[in-house]
Amino acid sequence: MQNFDVFDEHYWQPLKILGLTSSFWNINSKIIIFTWITLLAIFIICLISRFLILKKPDSVASFLVISYVKSFYDLINQTLGRFSFQHFTFVTSIFTFILFCNIISLIPWIEEPTADANTTLALGIIAFMYVQISSIIQNGFYEYVKEYFSPFFLLFPMNVIGELAKVVSMSFRLFGNIFGGSIISRLWTTAIAGSIIKELLGIFTGINLIIVLFFILFEGFIQAFVFSMLTLTYLSIAVRHEESHQ
Amino acid sequence: MIEIASFFNYATITFCIALSSLGVAIGSSFSSIATIRAIHIQPSARNEILKTSVIGMALIETSAIIGLVISIMLLMNKDISVVNKFYWGLSNLGIAFSIAISGFTIGLASSYPVQYACLAIARQPFFNNKILNLMLLTLSFIQTAVIFGFIIALLINSQAIYANSLTDSLRHIASGLSIGIGCIGPAIGLAYFAKSACSGIGINTKAYNKILTFTFISEALIETPIVFALIISLILITNQNSNLLVCLAMLFAAICVGISNIMPGISSGKTAASACDEIAKSPEIYSLVTRTSMLAQGLIDSFAIYGFLIALMLIFFVK
Repeated sequence: MQNFDVFDEHYWQPLKILGLTSSFWNINSKIIIFTWITLLAIFIICLISRFLILKKPDSVASFLVISYVKSFYDLINQTLGRFSFQHFTFVTSIFTFILFCNIISLIPWIEEPTADANTTLALGIIAFMYVQISSIIQNGFYEYVKEYFSPFFLLFPMNVIGELAKVVSMSFRLFGNIFGGSIISRLWTTAIAGSIIKELLGIFTGINLIIVLFFILFEGFIQAFVFSMLTLTYLSIAVRHEESHQ
Repeated sequence: MIEIASFFNYATITFCIALSSLGVAIGSSFSSIATIRAIHIQPSARNEILKTSVIGMALIETSAIIGLVISIMLLMNKDISVVNKFYWGLSNLGIAFSIAISGFTIGLASSYPVQYACLAIARQPFFNNKILNLMLLTLSFIQTAVIFGFIIALLINSQAIYANSLTDSLRHIASGLSIGIGCIGPAIGLAYFAKSACSGIGINTKAYNKILTFTFISEALIETPIVFALIISLILITNQNSNLLVCLAMLFAAICVGISNIMPGISSGKTAASACDEIAKSPEIYSLVTRTSMLAQGLIDSFAIYGFLIALMLIFFVK
């Protein structure tokens, strides 16, 4: 625990030839590789569930997959008031991606990509841009801009800061929770490492299990759910605005 | 010099266990009073009420146990070789702030879900399992704060050995202050919300699914300021700056994020609590109430974000 290093990072500098060595241009190699591993895991699970639904429609696994999709169908119906395939795919894929990112550390030697602020900030910006563009498509550009000057024009800076604060709070909430959980599990593994008695004690008292269950599975699920629900809520506020006026 | 270091060290050991035990003791007494009242209201459900109360009290004790672990760990550390005894003792104050303040607050705050879950079971004895589930969920959210305090305390403890100047000690104290003060407001807000959620199910059992979904989202929104305080704490621990002026700015960055968390946490919790009461009364307007409440909570959270941004600027822009 003495040399516990929280921020050990490995960087690629692809634009070093052009003289761009500022930290803005660096690529965090570890996080990129772990993200691609997560995407691979999602892809394999998608292929397996497609096979199961087509070939064995009565099995338990295909029932689980169908109820997973159906619960999101109900959620969209409940929150938006109608079904929209476009919003459904966006929210479901954001939830699935964040969930897999949060629980990928169950595989040894792999860390959560969401324990890095770059990933969560990117996700926050993607959700923000999606909500804004949906609002423009739904309400028209004039109505969209007018929204920022309501109730009257002096509140324009407050509205802009309020919108940007959503991005910051969404992405840093995800980052902080997952990062805190990963630090706890790393502290615990460094504390019990190096002694067989301690490791056996960790396994048989169930502390290992509690840490995995609570900080990885439970916390990861809740944070993924909260992120996608907040996106859906902001989306419903942005999209429904016109209906409430009529 | 050694005497002053020992003074700070012993003070840390005392405050860690004393303050968190104080909070837990008051919280447990509130829960016991509520349990007895619930049994008085509904004597036939005493087994269910006792089961809920015992599980709840065991969970309330978490913060006292964490205080005990840290105190014992510090006592065991007496003979280790450190770089500079005086600055090591000063750094220990950071542990005192992070454990004592958060332990006291969380001990008090986590008694609320237990009290109102017991009273709710007295109203709806056949619904006790679901009320117990909701109580455990709200308790686990509240106790996240004290676990964050525990992480920070462990990190400070591992770094304090290498502290060899005033700036290191200032950073460690600032880190403890940030998470310590930062979790007061959100913990009180979470307690308000847990009270409304548990008593809401006692009023209307049909709203259980809606209140459960709402609990997931609202509690995550209410505890966002704690996450900001945690991020500031982690940045302060890992920063290796040795300029006294910068480290003084860091101390005030911690106080800035801590104090700016207090009222947003409380008011966000009150907003969500009123929304939860409304859902319990009339579940059919769930989506309207949820949207309004989340919008308001998002606006309230933005004030915590202002404090967070200014704290980041104080850390990174002061030269």
